[in-house]
Amino acid sequence: MSEGESPAGPAAAEPVIERGGRRLSVVWLIPIVAAVVGAVVAWRAISEHGPQIEIRFATAEGIEAGTTKVKFKQVEVGLVEEVVLAEDLSGVVVRARMVNDAERWLREGTRFWVETARVAGGQVSGLGTLLSGAYIGVDPVLEGEEAHRFVALETPPVVSAGQAGRHFTLRSYRAGALPVGTPVFFRHLEVGRVVSSVLDESGDFVEIGIFVDAPHDRRVQRDARFWNASGLDVSVTASGVQVDTESVVSLLVGGIAFDTPPRSDAPPAEADASFVLHETRQAAEDAVYGEKQYYLVRFTQSVRGLVVGSPVEFLGIPIGRVTEIRLVIDHERKTFEVPVVIEIEPGRIADRQVPGSISEWHANLDQVVAQGLRAQLRSGNLLTGQLVVALDMHERAEAAQIDWSGPLPEIPTVPAPLEELTSSAMRIAQKIERLPLDEIARDVRGALEALRGTLAQTDRTLASTQGLISPGSPVIGELQRTLVELREASRSLGLAADQLQQEPESLIFGREDGP
Amino acid sequence: MSAPASVPTALAAGCASCHECGLLCRLASHAPGAALRCPRCGAEIHGRKPRSLERTWALLLAAAICYVPANVLPVMSVTSVGRTQSDTILSGVVYFVQHGDWPLAVVIFTASVFVPVLKIVILAYLALSVQRGSRWRPAERTRLYRITEAVGRWSMVDIYVVTILVALVRLGALATIQPELGAVFFGAVVVITMLAAESFDPRLIWDRAEGT
Repeated sequence: MSEGESPAGPAAAEPVIERGGRRLSVVWLIPIVAAVVGAVVAWRAISEHGPQIEIRFATAEGIEAGTTKVKFKQVEVGLVEEVVLAEDLSGVVVRARMVNDAERWLREGTRFWVETARVAGGQVSGLGTLLSGAYIGVDPVLEGEEAHRFVALETPPVVSAGQAGRHFTLRSYRAGALPVGTPVFFRHLEVGRVVSSVLDESGDFVEIGIFVDAPHDRRVQRDARFWNASGLDVSVTASGVQVDTESVVSLLVGGIAFDTPPRSDAPPAEADASFVLHETRQAAEDAVYGEKQYYLVRFTQSVRGLVVGSPVEFLGIPIGRVTEIRLVIDHERKTFEVPVVIEIEPGRIADRQVPGSISEWHANLDQVVAQGLRAQLRSGNLLTGQLVVALDMHERAEAAQIDWSGPLPEIPTVPAPLEELTSSAMRIAQKIERLPLDEIARDVRGALEALRGTLAQTDRTLASTQGLISPGSPVIGELQRTLVELREASRSLGLAADQLQQEPESLIFGREDGP
Repeated sequence: MSAPASVPTALAAGCASCHECGLLCRLASHAPGAALRCPRCGAEIHGRKPRSLERTWALLLAAAICYVPANVLPVMSVTSVGRTQSDTILSGVVYFVQHGDWPLAVVIFTASVFVPVLKIVILAYLALSVQRGSRWRPAERTRLYRITEAVGRWSMVDIYVVTILVALVRLGALATIQPELGAVFFGAVVVITMLAAESFDPRLIWDRAEGT
């Protein structure tokens, strides 16, 4: 500055004017305050910054960087920061910034999925996302290895990690319209849901994972039987038409039902136990008897009305079913026969003793067949014309025994009742046919001619006899006279007897003429 | 325009004009620390703005500090039907660019990003040049200062937009707009740079240029 050059006074006398010295000006408070506030804001932002995680999705549908949130129970726990394609282009990788205490539950088992409006398993969910847009749902897990890379689920999990209940596995030949979310019923009460449906390793079965909520999971006992209760189960059997359905919901969306055998005291099944899923309730109930034995029966007559599944009855009680019907030609004898494979559940025959081994059962069967057990086709239902294979005791049947030589033991058969009747009628006809009818006729004719001669002679004899006894014949007149004389004679004999009574002395002295 | 080598200045003559009413006063010798006041309007009189450079530097530093959160933090968040979106100034610019609104994007970018930076840089340069006693192109430097002062207020456009939107868009669940912390910092940047420009005394440029 140029104070020194001031012309107002002598330079030597002019004092240096103090301008508050070298003290820091108050104005420096402004940057300090700005720095402090900025630092506080920065610290807050950093402290709220949680870990960044990578979630792999099949598509980024509904996911937007900077907008889509990660929510757990509708609480925001993260925000999508970046959506990029996976390196191999097989999906997308979503990078999300989580809240800062998220590490606690970002474990290997933590699951992510996109929550959008969807209709599944008879339920509509996520309607709110129609307006607010999709969000990423998370099912946190507190145990397990910490993880920062996840693969998202295709659909929201049906069961969240903390839910009380148990998982079970059902094995079935086909998935049978049982998508994830399908209800599981116990006595028509919804107690669980289907959570997964995958092919097993061999590809032979579909493994259906179900989750049964507590406390109903205790009802899944070791001997529980599961069946597919989807839709309407209409079956025409030898016992008539049966219609079965679990509920209106299951009619629409399908369902699985389970039950335990009556009076069962089996312990509850452990978690992840595996069960067979039967096609129908009937199949499930039948399957309780578990062990099955297969036998072959051969019929030579028409088996029309016999189908796979037809019952096998013993004394009228179903104990099994037909599993296979074939038609075989015997080239040597040029005959046809129908081998039928039947399935018998020995468990259906209540044994007073402790259930024995199979060999014991076979020995018993041998004995029973020796006593007359035979298989027979019998009409099961006159209306539907269905046949059943009936096992019955035929005491008068020809002696036979089980043929153990083939792949399946063969139970001897007897013809059907109708067939039996027909064949015996046939036998009678054949005998009649074999009679020497011509000869007999000839003999009869000769006999008849001789008879006619005899008859003519008899006629003549009769005619002469007639002449003898006719009213004007001499024999009759003679006879009449004789009779008159005889009457005279008897009267006089009577008179004599009277006289003798009155005068017995006359016998000696003769008759006194007049007294 | 090059300044004449020796021009008589008020200060050289021991005078100073009042900033408010322009009255030329004599800078009499006075007690240390005593304030001189304009006899006409009562405003403080000083030959040059006191501690001009120090103040300018302090305010520039504060502005620079505030500039970072102003751009990093969102200035407002729009909640419409449950979907909340927070936007920073730059994300707004990017949004308009992506949607083809080039003119709007240019306006926002110029007013909100470019101008504050420009002001901070120009003022820093001017303060530095004065401090180092530069005699280089004083007229251009003065023009730079004038531009800085003129353009400064336009940066407030963003703040106005945010405040107006926040006040207008109050549709409950349908849509709401909330100001965010970034807006506070942005407003601070604008105000502080304006104060910094105000505290800088352009006559210092000429004091050196016309050197003694």
